[in-house]
Amino acid sequence: MTGAADIQQTQRTPDARARRFTFRWDTFFLVAFVLYLIIPLGATLIFGLSGNNGIDFHSYQQIFSDKDFTKTLLISLELALASTVLAIVLITPTVYWVQLRLPQARPLMDFLSLVPFAVPAILLALGLGEVYSSSNVFVNILSLGLVPLLSGNGLNIVDTPQLLVCAYVIVSLPFVYRPIDNSLRAINTRVLAEASYSLGGGWWRTFLTIILPNILPGVVSAALLTFSTAMGEFTLSSLFGIYTFPIYLDQVGQNDAHKAASLAILSFFFTLVCVLAILLFVGRRVSGKQTNVEIAAAK
Amino acid sequence: MQIPASTETSAESTLPKAILRSGRGFRLGYTLTSWLGLLPFLLFCLLFELLPAFVIIQGSFADSNSGSFTVNNFQRLLAGISYIHAFQNSISLSLVTALIGAVFGFFAAYGVYNSRANWLRNLLVGFSSIAANFAGVPLAFAFVSTLGVTGFVTVLLHNIFHINLYDAGFSLYTFWGLVLAYVYFQLPLMVLLTVPALSALKPEWREAATNLGASNATYWRRIALPVLMPSLIAAMMLLFANAFGAFATAYALAQGNINLVTIQIAFAVNGNVDFDTGLGNALAVGMIVVLLLAVTLYTAMLRRVSVWQGR
Repeated sequence: MTGAADIQQTQRTPDARARRFTFRWDTFFLVAFVLYLIIPLGATLIFGLSGNNGIDFHSYQQIFSDKDFTKTLLISLELALASTVLAIVLITPTVYWVQLRLPQARPLMDFLSLVPFAVPAILLALGLGEVYSSSNVFVNILSLGLVPLLSGNGLNIVDTPQLLVCAYVIVSLPFVYRPIDNSLRAINTRVLAEASYSLGGGWWRTFLTIILPNILPGVVSAALLTFSTAMGEFTLSSLFGIYTFPIYLDQVGQNDAHKAASLAILSFFFTLVCVLAILLFVGRRVSGKQTNVEIAAAK
Repeated sequence: MQIPASTETSAESTLPKAILRSGRGFRLGYTLTSWLGLLPFLLFCLLFELLPAFVIIQGSFADSNSGSFTVNNFQRLLAGISYIHAFQNSISLSLVTALIGAVFGFFAAYGVYNSRANWLRNLLVGFSSIAANFAGVPLAFAFVSTLGVTGFVTVLLHNIFHINLYDAGFSLYTFWGLVLAYVYFQLPLMVLLTVPALSALKPEWREAATNLGASNATYWRRIALPVLMPSLIAAMMLLFANAFGAFATAYALAQGNINLVTIQIAFAVNGNVDFDTGLGNALAVGMIVVLLLAVTLYTAMLRRVSVWQGR
């Protein structure tokens, strides 16, 4: 893949030389684009740091000494970790299984991973509330009796962190399924699996020691995107009434603009760390043709 | 890329044949266990993905109190001016930001694609994926700090150029202010989606066109743009869906000052007094219909993309 990119590069050069003396519209738009992305960040950084007399780190000190800051950050970290683990444990073996045993189920998987686009977080919150808080004969039958079990008297999961974790897994489903599926298609899954079976490896052993190491970049990318989605998710946790970090951010920010700016910068650096980790793992793919574009839905 | 793909398909076709030969009963058992392996995931999707959607659709046709079948919810939706306005606002906000994102993002992506240094391209793509993920509440606050009443750029313009944005009629807390904030995540998303599509343009095509006497403009009009069009439309649909379902940015920025469908639904979920579940569900079904249109067009266009990119 890198080879192909290199060839393209050299073939493009004379073309680029011919255009050197003309005004480059694409460069102009590129500079405008970068400025548009950088200016709000720079302005926010300065705004957060500006106090009554010059630069001070007062707002950062206040934030770090705030008990709610650590509390909500911990809650969000726990939720995000739980969602990441659940998403990876549930989806990776399933995608591998479909690839190996059930290629005819692929359209179904594609459909299921597209549904979250048509049913965004806000609708999921509405629907989950209705499914688990009111009894509905249709739903009870369609869910094979599982919904009454989950929303019964002993075990009521409506508005609980557990349900929130499940919802996060659904919200990040497109971003988990795609990179894992792409990596599984890129390696020769079936040949690898058959080679392993013929050498006496069982299903789980093949999966854990042969397949998983080979698709690790995709899995890590999926995990980090789930993690960053769950960390920044506002809609579901606010409608479920669970006090997570983004809710804290909103509450503090509505009262104190300088603190809000500092918190926004902190969350930016958090996103930065997650994306950098993805890029480091998936690394060389970025410049090649197979750029995996996965965008978390934290809107 | 081609070679492993072709061996894979041939391996796929040999195995089911071998099973076919070994008798019907075995094949049935094999298929059954295959589907059994999918069961945990399917059950999870049923419980937390499909049932919520189903309940919304069912609830939109049910009376809020008695539960009997009715289209009253949709009638009330169509009669309520504020709901119609909410849909108009949401659709135009999504359309405007998707258009701005698609047009400017395309040119920026072309700039990224044309940047000669590899490190620069990687840096720009990396930065775009960070910016595309930087949304919701923090993004709203970043824009308040930049263009709010006491925001950095607002004050800077006032002190240095003596331009008062808010006297000139600009406000961050209106439709166009929200457009500015949404474009912040739409632009980099478009760049991320378009750079791979641009890389799929084969240099041979341009060479062939040039050999046949085509100018740069002709090449773009007759070859590059028609090839890119499905990718661009697919990307635009994704941008549209992205903006249409967005809630946190608008909520944190305007606190309900802008009437959007997502904000109306949030009222319904939170159990606002003058809201009932039937109406909330009807609004949600309206959203699903609009989003389904976008997603259908998106997948249809992606299918056409694969014809050109040989995937």
